[in-house]
Amino acid sequence: MKLFRAGDLVVLAAAAALVGASWAALWSGGGPAEFAVVTAPAAAAQTLPLDADTVTEVAGRLGPSTLEVRDGRVRFTDSPCVGRLCVHSGWLDRSGQVAACLPNGVVVEVGGGRREFDAVSH
Amino acid sequence: MPSATERVAPTGAGRDRLIAGFAALAIAIHVLEAALPSPLPGVKPGLANVITVVVLLRWGWGIAAWVAGLRVLAGSLLVGTFLSPTFILSAGGAIAALAALWLAQRLFGRWLGAPGYSVCAALAHMGAQVLLAWQLFIPHPALLKLAPFLLTAALVFGIVSGVIAAIVLQKLAGPEPARP
Repeated sequence: MKLFRAGDLVVLAAAAALVGASWAALWSGGGPAEFAVVTAPAAAAQTLPLDADTVTEVAGRLGPSTLEVRDGRVRFTDSPCVGRLCVHSGWLDRSGQVAACLPNGVVVEVGGGRREFDAVSH
Repeated sequence: MPSATERVAPTGAGRDRLIAGFAALAIAIHVLEAALPSPLPGVKPGLANVITVVVLLRWGWGIAAWVAGLRVLAGSLLVGTFLSPTFILSAGGAIAALAALWLAQRLFGRWLGAPGYSVCAALAHMGAQVLLAWQLFIPHPALLKLAPFLLTAALVFGIVSGVIAAIVLQKLAGPEPARP
């Protein structure tokens, strides 16, 4: 008995094609950030342009989180959570970076152009 | 269409002993694997898959489903993840893998060997887990971007465990084995 039968090779080819398609569909390269997408529990996702310096308050489950945009970067400056992991994530300036305040339900993801990172965690 | 290597499964107590023996083997592999460090969360070799595929090809889908189900249940009790998110992902993956195996055997059983079944099961397992994790636990699109990595790992490990299963089946295919 051989280790591989004819059908196995067909399945392997189909599986490789499927995995290749998942790369093509879900993967994207990197580059500088152009905009930030803010997801909050109460409202629809909101896009913040990064070319103007702003300070934005986003309502979360616990209260308002403050986002600051400056020099094409975005960061959490305050959030009503314990630990402030989102604030300690610092500035997001590369496409694909994400900072999240999970207790407050606020997620900021920067996007645009070629993405260098899939996701960045600290 | 059952495969050429399949034997008639015993009934009654013989069937129970067969299931218990293979389930014990699968649980041992499951627990050993849980102790291995993983380079990426969610990536495991999935060697217990070898047992499922061997049992499927030798004793049929019914016994394979019992063995896989018992492995998920008893394995989670031993590792301490019973009813935790890990368990839900594990059970969802196992159900998807068994469904894929059933479908593959029904449709293409005549042409498939262990590697084909193993790859089907591995991809179904990983696909279901990613979708479940995304739907239930982390509903953020960033999780889906991990999917290509995870599916590639599933493909590689599926091939590896399929080849192992084929070798085991080859060794078993000799003379009629002693009944457990």
